[in-house]
Amino acid sequence: MTAVLDAPAEVGAIPSFTVTLRVMRYLPGDDGLTPVAHWDEFQVLCHGTDRVLDALHKVKWEQDGSLTFRRSCAHGVCGSDAMRINGRNRLACKTLLKDLDPSKPITVEPIKGLPVIKDLVVDMEPFFASYREIMPFLITTGNEPTKERLQSAEQRERFDDTTKCILCAACTSSCPVFWTDGQYFGPAAIVNAHRFIFDSRDEGGAQRLEILNDKEGVWRCRTTFNCTEACPRGIEVTKAIQEVKRAMITRAF
Amino acid sequence: MTAIADPKAPRPPRARPSRLTTRGNTELYGWVFMRASGVVLLVLIFGHLFVNLWAGDGVKAIDFGFVAGKWADPIWQVWDLLMLWLAMIHGTNGVRTIINDYAERDGTRLVLKSLLYLAFLVTVVLGTLVIFTFNPCPDAAPDLLPSFCTAR
Amino acid sequence: MQIHQYDVVIVGAGGAGMRAALESSTRVRTAVISKLYPTRSHTGAAQGGMCAALANVEEDNWEWHTFDTVKGGDYLVDQDAAEVMAKEAIDAVLDLEKMGLPFNRTPEGRIDQRRFGGHTRNHGEAAVRRSCYAADRTGHMILQTLYQQCVKNEVEFFNEFYVLDLLVDHDLAAGHVPEGEEVTVSGVVAYELATGEIHVFRAKSVVLATGGAGKIFKTTSNAHTLTGDGMALAYRRGIPLEDMEFFQFHPTGLAGLGILLSEAARGEGAILRNSEGERFMERYAPTIKDLAPRDIVARSMANEVREGRGAGPNKDYVLLDLTHLEPAHIDAKLPDITEFARTYLGVEPYTEPVPVYPTAHYAMGGVPTNIEAQVLRNETDVIRGLFAAGEVACVSVHGSNRLGTNSLLDINVFGKRAGISAAAYAVDAEFVELPEDPAATVTAGLELIRTRPDGERVADIRKALQESMDLNAQVFRTKESLTQALEDIKALRKRYLSVSVQDKSRTFNTDLLEAVELGFLIDIAETVVVGALNREESRGGHFREDFPKRDDEGFMKHTMAYRRPLPTDGHRQWGGGDGDTEGRFAYSEVFDDYQLVLGSKPVTMTRYQPMERKY
Repeated sequence: MTAVLDAPAEVGAIPSFTVTLRVMRYLPGDDGLTPVAHWDEFQVLCHGTDRVLDALHKVKWEQDGSLTFRRSCAHGVCGSDAMRINGRNRLACKTLLKDLDPSKPITVEPIKGLPVIKDLVVDMEPFFASYREIMPFLITTGNEPTKERLQSAEQRERFDDTTKCILCAACTSSCPVFWTDGQYFGPAAIVNAHRFIFDSRDEGGAQRLEILNDKEGVWRCRTTFNCTEACPRGIEVTKAIQEVKRAMITRAF
Repeated sequence: MTAIADPKAPRPPRARPSRLTTRGNTELYGWVFMRASGVVLLVLIFGHLFVNLWAGDGVKAIDFGFVAGKWADPIWQVWDLLMLWLAMIHGTNGVRTIINDYAERDGTRLVLKSLLYLAFLVTVVLGTLVIFTFNPCPDAAPDLLPSFCTAR
Repeated sequence: MQIHQYDVVIVGAGGAGMRAALESSTRVRTAVISKLYPTRSHTGAAQGGMCAALANVEEDNWEWHTFDTVKGGDYLVDQDAAEVMAKEAIDAVLDLEKMGLPFNRTPEGRIDQRRFGGHTRNHGEAAVRRSCYAADRTGHMILQTLYQQCVKNEVEFFNEFYVLDLLVDHDLAAGHVPEGEEVTVSGVVAYELATGEIHVFRAKSVVLATGGAGKIFKTTSNAHTLTGDGMALAYRRGIPLEDMEFFQFHPTGLAGLGILLSEAARGEGAILRNSEGERFMERYAPTIKDLAPRDIVARSMANEVREGRGAGPNKDYVLLDLTHLEPAHIDAKLPDITEFARTYLGVEPYTEPVPVYPTAHYAMGGVPTNIEAQVLRNETDVIRGLFAAGEVACVSVHGSNRLGTNSLLDINVFGKRAGISAAAYAVDAEFVELPEDPAATVTAGLELIRTRPDGERVADIRKALQESMDLNAQVFRTKESLTQALEDIKALRKRYLSVSVQDKSRTFNTDLLEAVELGFLIDIAETVVVGALNREESRGGHFREDFPKRDDEGFMKHTMAYRRPLPTDGHRQWGGGDGDTEGRFAYSEVFDDYQLVLGSKPVTMTRYQPMERKY
């Protein structure tokens, strides 16, 4: 039997419009002099389904090849293109121009709190250093089972939210505490610790809690919720941080 | 084309070995203390406000005699001492975190925190001294003294 | 210029590269060079799952999996390799679980499994639940888990380093191999993006794990960075590329954008419909319908559109219907892909069908390897110290069409094998002398492009290439369309000679690297088109409208594309060691300063004889 669907929805023609991109430029030359950051404006003709990344590509490919930014997958799963768009941290490939009020200039800056290398490219090393410090890997003791370790669907669900992290740094670089001196571990590192602390198979929770019980650890979180708002994967970051805090308190008393 | 500040991050990434020493329960206890002291302070402060401003004749009853009378009672001495200490530690710790969050340079932090701790020390020492060395029956102005002074 | 020395150098830090690194770094001194941060690799975009006959939810065994793989690949699969993969799949999944991968679970707490295109019970009886998954983020979880293990094992990474040359002691493309000589790898040359500095990595073993080349097409699910670097590096050194004409077009890309919607959607019950609302796959694959292998579904979709039953204002796509599924079920099993539909097309999959059209997805072909992941330089001889795994390699377990989930399997099984083989080789081998001034070619090439005052724009050439490939070498191909594509490529290659970039700096010059990558793309596109022209039959992902039938008589063999010097004094000459003594080379296409020669390689058959492929 052939199933028949009612008349499928028609998608209308896609409108085109011109947007102005205001991009923060920082171009170190080969002369070794420290450059001065400045704003550049570009006019780009875009379509209704275009994203900020498409607009940046149009600038790079058609107007100014020296505009530099990172990108790879272009659909929000690789985490390369986190940047500050209209003052908010987002992935350029997940932000549609039409959702940004294209009648006003769209400002694009590098994410804050990490050293800028060039234009929108920042040095991610401090970010990954914090990530590595929280021991982001399964820690187990005893003999490995021959087959899989058992885990109930509920136990799996307990840490599902924090497994979604793509390490784009949108959360960490949206955190005012991180902006000050970059010493705070940052939301992303805590999220990745959370992913293991609440995994029923993991036995390294105590060590991770010890690491995050640092002067620069979870206690520096002021619950401003910037991270939760910035996360392109919809992770409830602040909630995860609070859960780690709670685990530490339960452990201490 | 407007020039803006150098967008370099304010500081290089933290040095690894030194940070190992900053682990420990200090911040945890600090965090718990803030919440616990907050709750206790609510009781203390509203109790204080109720007794001083509402009970009996209310705010009109406050004079030297009223205060002296309260501090003659050990319960009120402990109450006010607790309120002083908890409020000062709570407030000082709060300002300390604000300094940590907003002061970008180590030097600035040091200066601000030194001032803060000095202010804390002066206030707490003076306050404690006042509560315990308070003389409810001084020689001057006998008409303001509490009733029990006349018994002497 | 800096020189580094490692026992094993792994090029690429996606699934295959990191899986290899986990094996090799515990045995010998290993470096992983990646043009991205490892977690940016495109393994992370894989969605549906990883098949293994765990039989956790219903009866299954690895032999059925082997059969499905062979049949799915339209019998062009090397069956010994397919058998290895299906057998080792079980351990590969369990390994990942032990590393901490958060698979979805059955009520008993075991790894859950679901249906996937082309995977059947008992040789095609019905769809089987074989795919182990973590929601629709299986690739993301694999990538994260492997990176986590690399952090644990303190694997040495060189991030944002572009490998631009493969160093071998005899350059096959220049025809420099004396008769009877071995060819041995001596390292790679890399470009550090942040500083523009050249690094030479001297190594006993080199593992290529650079992934695919989807960017030769305009509509593709592949990342911007998938430019076939590893394949092109090998090809430029005269190492053959196998079966390049077989490119998989994934049926369900978001229409117009190419962003992937996993086959898992259909595995969970979604249905493809044309503009009349008809479930058209019932006509093309009566038994397993929407879960037929990707080549069949993609072709059926393209055919619906060609025959005027496409949906939308331009009638240029079909619809993926999830509206009969429970929203809660969709949220639990397919959260990411429904979000893609909402974000990018503004379509609400709970209530509206999603516009989809085939999108270039996976290169079945690549650098030929044996089951130990050693790279071959002809049908039989290996290049000493060179290994390859993942999409860059062609083992060949995918034949002419890869089954869904088998790519995640491929990277894990053969990534692991490559790591072990590379380390084992390095333990016994000696370092080979580096050529004099090993970085000379790379430096000269880069400087030429960087300093050329003006010329052709990278984006223009790339756009022309991608559009020509989409138009002429996509789901349907003919002699005319392919000839047109080849002409276009030749013209673009000429234009590429005068390519220039606007960014002249040495710091993080992505403009320059895009120009280099374009060179790789042109090389790969040329092997795809020439291979497709020569293969006058239709099989798996390669469909010739002028030869719509499979021709086992003429073409039951792998294509091998070699770059060789131009013929001298009128007759063909392939360079030492590759003399055409048995008429192996069927075809040659002459370019300006070299020729592309096509040879063949027999298909290994063990258990299964070719049959007609029906679903």
